[in-house]
Amino acid sequence: MSDVHDEFLAEAQEIIEALSRDLLFLDQAQKEGNVQPDLINEVFRGVHTLKGIAGMFGFQTLSAMAHTLEDLLDDLRLGRVDLSQEVLDVLFEGVEGFQRLLGEGADEEAVDVKDFAQSIERVSKKREGGEVTLEDLDLDESVLAVLTEYEEHRLRTNLSQGTPLYRLRVRFSLTTIDSNLEELKERAKSVAEIITYLPSVGGGDGDEIDLDVLLASDIPAIELGEVLAAGGEAELERIGRKGVGPETSHEALMPPPLEDESPGRPMPTSRPPAPVDTTPPERGAPAPQKDISADALSLRSVANTVRVDIRKLDHLMNVVGELAIVRSAVARITEKIRAREELRQLAIELHRVNRGFERHLEELQEGILDVRMVPLGQLFDKLARIIRQVAREHDKEVRLLVTGAETEVDKLIVEELSDPLMHLIRNAIDHGIESPKVRELAGKPSEGILSLNAYQKGNHVVLEIEDDGAGMNEELLVQAALRKGLIAQEAADEITAQDALELIFMPGFSTRSAITDLSGRGVGMDVVKTNINRLGGVVDVWSEHGSGTKFTITLPVTLAIISALLVRVAGRDFAIPITSVQEAILLDRAAVRTVEGREVISLRGSTLPLCRLDRLFRLLPVQSDRRFVVVCAVGQRRVGFVVDALDGQQDIVIKALGKSLSNVRGFAGATDLGDQRVALVLDAPGLLEEVLRSQELQQLGIEAHE
Amino acid sequence: MSDDPKRQTIVPASGSAAVRAPTSASMLAVPIVRELLAFVIADETYALPLRSIREILKVPPITGVPRAPKDVLGIISVRGRITTVRDLRRLLKMPESATDKHTRVLLVEAPDDEVIGLLVDRVLQVYRLDEDEVELAAVVGGDMSEHVMGVGRPRRSIRGSEEEQDEGNEEILVLLDPGPLLRRS
Repeated sequence: MSDVHDEFLAEAQEIIEALSRDLLFLDQAQKEGNVQPDLINEVFRGVHTLKGIAGMFGFQTLSAMAHTLEDLLDDLRLGRVDLSQEVLDVLFEGVEGFQRLLGEGADEEAVDVKDFAQSIERVSKKREGGEVTLEDLDLDESVLAVLTEYEEHRLRTNLSQGTPLYRLRVRFSLTTIDSNLEELKERAKSVAEIITYLPSVGGGDGDEIDLDVLLASDIPAIELGEVLAAGGEAELERIGRKGVGPETSHEALMPPPLEDESPGRPMPTSRPPAPVDTTPPERGAPAPQKDISADALSLRSVANTVRVDIRKLDHLMNVVGELAIVRSAVARITEKIRAREELRQLAIELHRVNRGFERHLEELQEGILDVRMVPLGQLFDKLARIIRQVAREHDKEVRLLVTGAETEVDKLIVEELSDPLMHLIRNAIDHGIESPKVRELAGKPSEGILSLNAYQKGNHVVLEIEDDGAGMNEELLVQAALRKGLIAQEAADEITAQDALELIFMPGFSTRSAITDLSGRGVGMDVVKTNINRLGGVVDVWSEHGSGTKFTITLPVTLAIISALLVRVAGRDFAIPITSVQEAILLDRAAVRTVEGREVISLRGSTLPLCRLDRLFRLLPVQSDRRFVVVCAVGQRRVGFVVDALDGQQDIVIKALGKSLSNVRGFAGATDLGDQRVALVLDAPGLLEEVLRSQELQQLGIEAHE
Repeated sequence: MSDDPKRQTIVPASGSAAVRAPTSASMLAVPIVRELLAFVIADETYALPLRSIREILKVPPITGVPRAPKDVLGIISVRGRITTVRDLRRLLKMPESATDKHTRVLLVEAPDDEVIGLLVDRVLQVYRLDEDEVELAAVVGGDMSEHVMGVGRPRRSIRGSEEEQDEGNEEILVLLDPGPLLRRS
């Protein structure tokens, strides 16, 4: 797949994530009856951009879908359609569809655009009438003529809500207009909604320009003037109705009742003023001055970050690995030099330099690991979307409480966590949190609470998924396990409450029928556990019948997932990191020769020293007709490790051996192969070094001291 | 190590029901000097402070580690955590024996924040010994090893019922100190 294509996917993914987040805010705002116009604008812009880039890269379905959604958003923006839960459903559905279309292996048919267009059709019944005319406003016709449809809409909305409108006349120098505007925007942020900037009819002279800023604000004019002027020169004037003084009662401007059957938009009595972005997208051609400043502003807001393909970081990490090998080679040479009496001083200096090198290398490694860290909030946003959807599907009222969204973990862990977390959350809503009626009967608030908590604890990140639902009934769990023959009667008799809860993690426990019987949870909990274990994490469960369930996931902050070749030696499993393996061949016993007591074979014209791992590790060799040679290479040096069998390649997580084994050489760690099997991971470069060194020493006639 | 109640709850996670009792008992007003978990190795009774025991496991498959010290049996995965298992018989220089259905692995908090698995022949029960039931090594003196904290002489019999107890057959618990016992060799 081409880089350009990847670039598109990455960008699209980012837009979709931002969209989901904004939709959630919008959802919240809608419920509170306080929808901020800039939020809708934000969503509109995201969808618009997505449409553009999708079209450019030939994602026709995606582009078409974005187009229909954009129309709906435009209607929302301009107040032609009211934001309702139904409309939000369609918006969420749209984002979900984008996600599916971008998914791996998704084809253009993954989403039915026609279907989607119909959904949009259904919700976008435009409201009719009820418009407040702007003609009556005491604004110059030339001003009204250049307003965009959006700006007109905002003026009307403010009028109909009875928010006083103002005209602020400011004089800016042409050279500093950008920063002046930015300052003004900043000052206005909390007190007023800026609707537009227009060059004053009077115009400016020379290097200066007069701007008319139209704004709406609820705070008293005197205060507003003070905030906006803030030491500068500015003139604030209330915009009244033509022929009437500014003290006109607002009732006169209220729209007539709506003829639409949709319930009227909630009309908050006091609407907090909202800042409006100065870049209204693609709507006619407003005043030129405005365009210039808007462009300048958007240029400045480019974030101070870069997007990097995770594989590039993996590559850097590998380079660090190579450097570590160089370092140990230098250390080896240093030892040789030190053996020469007259060069001892030189060896000491070299040693010191190498130590410095080592320190910097460690810093580099830490730096790269740090770059890979992303906040868990990214994942939480995605989950919040699902929570909303699942809750609506099941007619549950669920409030999500999130803490620790800023907690950082390795990007790879975040990716791998999303499925298990999704499972846990679906279960929590599906089977944990009761329906509002049941909750009320149980004396709980009808709205269930689902908490996602993350925090760092030493070298680990802890994630809690907690609900205040029905909890699990241990007795029913034990009965189900008995029925399925997962545990024996004797075990069931003496099972502890905690062990009973852990039954849910047993393979085969979780089936559809089990959940209906238990009204508990259990869809693929064994899979959840396995996935988390594979990440080097652990999952614990706590539950109290009637009051809720909590899953606690403990994960390492960083991950070392590597690809490894699994081999068997003397009846044991070992893993060899694939980065060290050149090839694996069948051992041709007839081709083995002995050179100075060492076994070697000839591989494509060069001599390959062999090392029998069972002998190296002093294990009792097993009888075998066929053996294999795993050719490992570090730089130019190669050794063939003789093993009994090859068990294929697998991605594994390397876990450190306990401190009590830190003196044991030859192993990079261990890995969990599942079903209680643990394999040691060979430190291939270390072993190779060891084998070759003992050989060199032998050639020099010195006894190996190990 | 703390007396945090959370710690207590994880002790019996998959252990025997016997370990569960002290959680509530420790709330009684009676001053309890030491809570100990007693177990048997080569027919002798030993005990470790209950606070230092995280969990009691049935023996899982143990992966041997070549080149490891002799008392290391290997490594196991405890819910995804790689844990070193050491043979208490070998640590105490006792003859080896095969494992049977009573054999257990105690997960013990060792120095350096490491949790170590210790293979024991059989787990007995939890003891709460009053001050006058414990003789500290410092008081006893003599040739005791560094890893022996002292000796416990419970007034009530360990294994049998009351009638088995008589003056000449007093039970003795050897109290082990996990620190020196598990310090890196």
